[in-house]
Amino acid sequence: MSRETYQIPTPSQTANPGSSSGGGLNPGAQRSPFDADTNTVMQYICGDCGAKCPLRRNELIRCRECGCRVLYKERTKRMVQFEAR
Amino acid sequence: MAPSSGRRQPPSSEDLDERNIVGINKETITNTVSTDYPDNYANEEHAWDKEAFRRSFKVQWHDNQQYEAQFSLIGIDASIANAFRRILIAEIPTLAIDIVYIYNNTSVIQDEVLAHRLGLIPFTGNKKGIQNWLGFWRKPAPGEDSYATTFDSNTVCLKLQAKCTHNKDAPPNSKDPKELYHNAHIYAKDIKFEPLGVQEKHFSGDGVIRPFNPDILVAKLRPGQELEIEIHMHKGFGWDHAKWSPVATASYRLMPTITITKPILGADAEKFADCFMNGVIGLEPVTRKEARSKGSGYEGHEGELKAVVKDPMRDTVSREVLRHPEFEGKVKLGRRRDHFIFSIESTGQWDSDDLFLEAVKTLKKKCQVLRPQVTNMVYTF
Ligand SMILES: [Zn+2]
Repeated sequence: MSRETYQIPTPSQTANPGSSSGGGLNPGAQRSPFDADTNTVMQYICGDCGAKCPLRRNELIRCRECGCRVLYKERTKRMVQFEAR
Repeated sequence: MAPSSGRRQPPSSEDLDERNIVGINKETITNTVSTDYPDNYANEEHAWDKEAFRRSFKVQWHDNQQYEAQFSLIGIDASIANAFRRILIAEIPTLAIDIVYIYNNTSVIQDEVLAHRLGLIPFTGNKKGIQNWLGFWRKPAPGEDSYATTFDSNTVCLKLQAKCTHNKDAPPNSKDPKELYHNAHIYAKDIKFEPLGVQEKHFSGDGVIRPFNPDILVAKLRPGQELEIEIHMHKGFGWDHAKWSPVATASYRLMPTITITKPILGADAEKFADCFMNGVIGLEPVTRKEARSKGSGYEGHEGELKAVVKDPMRDTVSREVLRHPEFEGKVKLGRRRDHFIFSIESTGQWDSDDLFLEAVKTLKKKCQVLRPQVTNMVYTF
C-alpha cells in the first residue's frame, strides 16, 4: 500500500482477544478496520472536555466523563514528512 | 579660461576628490556612477592596475565582536564590495533543519507551519566539525531509497518530544499557563541532539549541536496535546533557502561626507548639530587666529561657538539640514563612492570576521573557475 493513502487509525490491540475475522494469528497483517466486530475498541476524543473515550461498535456516541455528544477521531499515527521551508 | 591648447590639464587633487563623491542634494542625487575606467577622461590612464590598487586599498576595523563586525573597505569598486555582500548572504554554507518527520502533533499549530518554524531556528556547534568534517547531503534520485544518501557524515539528527500536562502544584487562582501546565511553551532548547555514528567525536561538550538562542518559542501546548518530531539537519546555501544564510544580514553603506562651506555660529550652530545624529557635529569656540584672518567669515566672533564636523561616519544622511533655509549654501552633503562601511551580523554558526575571510576565499575560487574559461574563449576564436 502506498504511504500516501489514507490509513484509518488502528484500533487498540488489547481489546479484541477473541476476534474471529481479520488477520487472525499473523501479528504483522493489518486488519481492515471495516471488519471491526462489536468487541473492537476505537479511541475517540471528547469535543468538550478532551478526555480519551474508548468506544465499541453500536455503542452510544457519548463522552463518559461529561456527556458531550461530539467525539473526534484521533490523529493518524502515520509519520508525515515535511521539508522545513 | 584660456583657449584650448589641444591638451587638457591633468586633474587637480580637488578634482580627483570631487570625482569620488556622490552629491546629495535636497531632491536629487548626483554623480552616482564610477568614472575610473579607460577612455572616460581624455589623456588619463584608468586601466585597472594591481600595484595601484595595492597602494590605495585600505581596510579599517571599527568593531570586531564575535558575532558582530563593522569595518571599512576603502578604495574598492562597488561591484566587488557588492559581490562580497551577496556571497556573505547566499554562498557560505551553514547547517540548518531541512527535513522534519512528524510522528505526532496535536498542538494547534499546523504541521507545515511547525516544520517551517523549525527550519528557521539558527543552530550552532563545533565550528571545525560543521565547516570541515560535515559534508553535503544529496537528495536521493527517484527510485532510490529515501535514506540511501543519509549518513552520519552529512546529516545531523535531532528530536523534539513533549507532552503538556496539568500541574498539580500550581498556585491557586493562577492564570499563567506556564504555572498551570507542564510544557505549556516549547522552546528551541527542548530540541535535543541525537549523535549518529562518529558524530559524538566531533560534536560533544562545548561543540554539541544546539540552538544558538535557546529561548526561541517554537509552539504552545495545552494539556493533552503532544509533539513527537524527528528532525534531519543538512548543510546548504543561502541561495537555496534563507535559513542557510550565515548572516542576520550583511550590508554596507557609503561613508557620508559633510562639508561646511560658510561659518555656522552661535544658536545656528546648535540647531545645525541637532540636524544630524549625536556626535556627528561638534561645537568649538572660534579661535583668535580665525577671528583675525580676513575673509574667513569669523571676523569679530572670537569665543563664539562654531559648528565643526566631528565624525561623519555616524551620520545617517537624513538630509534634515537641507530643509532649513538658514543653512542654505552653507553645507554640502555627499558620500564617498569608494568607501564601504560593512556591517556583518552572524547568526551564530560562524564568527563574523571569519565570514568575511570566507567570502574573500569564495570570490577567489569563483575567479579561478572563470579564468581558464576566459582564456579558452580567446583560443577558440
Ligand atoms: Zn467529555
